[in-house]
Amino acid sequence: MIDFVQNTVDGIMFGSSYALLAVGFTIIFGVMRRLNLAYGATIMLGAYAGTWLHVHYQVHVLIVALVILASTVLTGIYVERLCFRAIRRDAALASMVSSFVIWMQLEEVAIHILPERTYSFPSLFAAEPIELGAFLIRPEHVTMLVLAVVMMGALHLFVHHTRHGLALRAMSENPRAASYMGVNTGWIMLLSFALVSLVGGVAGCAILATNEQITPYFGLWATFKGLIAMMLGGMGSLPGAILGGLLLGVAEAHSQWYLGNAYKDLSAYILLFAILVLRPGGLMGRRILSREEFASRRV
Amino acid sequence: MDDYVITVLSNIGMISFIALSAYLLLTTGEISFGQQAYFGLGAYAAGAATAMFELPIWTAILIGSSVAGLMAMVVGALTLRLSGLYFSIATLAFAEMVRLILLIVKVQVEVDGEMVGPDGANGFHDIRWMFERDISLMEFMFIIYGLLALVLIAFLWMERSRLGSVFRMLGSDSLLAEMQGLDTVRYRILAAGLAGGIAGIGGALYAHFTTYVEPQFFNVMLGVHALAYGLIGGLGTAFGPLIGVAIDLGFLEAVRFIQGYRMIVFGGLVAVLLIVMPRGILDEVRVHRLKTLLTRRSHAGARGP
Repeated sequence: MIDFVQNTVDGIMFGSSYALLAVGFTIIFGVMRRLNLAYGATIMLGAYAGTWLHVHYQVHVLIVALVILASTVLTGIYVERLCFRAIRRDAALASMVSSFVIWMQLEEVAIHILPERTYSFPSLFAAEPIELGAFLIRPEHVTMLVLAVVMMGALHLFVHHTRHGLALRAMSENPRAASYMGVNTGWIMLLSFALVSLVGGVAGCAILATNEQITPYFGLWATFKGLIAMMLGGMGSLPGAILGGLLLGVAEAHSQWYLGNAYKDLSAYILLFAILVLRPGGLMGRRILSREEFASRRV
Repeated sequence: MDDYVITVLSNIGMISFIALSAYLLLTTGEISFGQQAYFGLGAYAAGAATAMFELPIWTAILIGSSVAGLMAMVVGALTLRLSGLYFSIATLAFAEMVRLILLIVKVQVEVDGEMVGPDGANGFHDIRWMFERDISLMEFMFIIYGLLALVLIAFLWMERSRLGSVFRMLGSDSLLAEMQGLDTVRYRILAAGLAGGIAGIGGALYAHFTTYVEPQFFNVMLGVHALAYGLIGGLGTAFGPLIGVAIDLGFLEAVRFIQGYRMIVFGGLVAVLLIVMPRGILDEVRVHRLKTLLTRRSHAGARGP
């Protein structure tokens, strides 16, 4: 029982960073209707820039974090310009493949910045695990959860209580109608990319500070964790992304504990496949219209 | 030709199968991130057939292709209700399941005093058919390109036939296709099965060419590359994916001198290409223009003096 609770708590805490990654994917998908495969690589490159500073100049952790956020946002804007703005709106597949090749490009740039396989990443602070009765809680996990909650709260305020947030929601509802209403769609696209890069940068810092190391595989890892978490909850839904992230974290924590490391990813994928087959549309996504409804809507 | 050139050409040939497989699904409007699963299943099944049960190579390729095709039909049936990104991620989840299960599975039999068979994360060693039969790399390359030619002929036949039109129709508007009285369920499962079977042939060849396969090779990168090849080469004809593979593998081999900067250059070039040609080099419009150009020429030639 103690194990079960401990795993669930660990899973929720680590899952909060999956939720942040999923939110990044879901915002881009909502605004663009296109998949940004370079999202994880964007965060990875930003983190590499910060780690480079850490490795060569031993600056304070907070400066490293600021550099990571700034360079993640810059890389995000680069991806937006090259893979999304420059490509026709109806060519979703071209944007996806373009973001994939740019992912490969960013990965090679990262290897040039820091040529070794792994580098240590500064932990936010050195602290012993906190003991709460029978449970152990890692301070890094608490930081992760707090950061995630703060980011989610800020995002919620932004999306629901500002003019730009309103424009963003209008665009994800119907881009053409939004532009007729005077929304500067190009600016909103750029803004949403900068925004999700910032969210991703925070998630990246939290995850890497917990792992205390960074490899070029981080891009792949972050992309697919974020995608899985988003799909579990359902595309285009912010609460869905949070639920999906937490669910993924808990599922991974339990399967790692009860079945072993080899089954951690396997059970996550089995869960994803089962949910998609049984509930097409994810747990909280917009319900997929049945064929009859779809047909009558078009008529 | 030296062995190096033959290896590069053989790789282009083998990867073309999985590119064609992803392309077939693209023409039906489905983006699959999971064709590497069928490539991998084909490789393991065919490798097991020759190395563990000492069956002839043609039987092995048939087994590899059928195993992959049947599995693809099962997955196709399960994912019938999914479309768009949901379908892509479901196929990705399935492919990763296959890869992670292959990392655990250990089935070995004793052949000539040695243990042969899939050995989890250590991979599947000693698929030694080429050595045992004394087949040279060159001869194997002809097998690869012979089979590739057969698959291409089948594609070209299909694109002129009713089946090809049905697939393209599913791709442009599946609801309209259904309203025309087409059994979309049957055609979607058929397309999934055919695509899986084609990827399986590639995998079967790959296992025998390299004599060694490991689950790590069939990761999601292979599947996304397969998709990218179709889009770079063009979605208008089955030659598109082949052009994509040749550009990628050929380019990367040709520019070995800028080792370490290849992906930076290549990534940028492809991104620019996709801005100018969002449906690839040989897209539907250009293929149509080429066809009319060619037929007009031949008509003119026939009428001329």
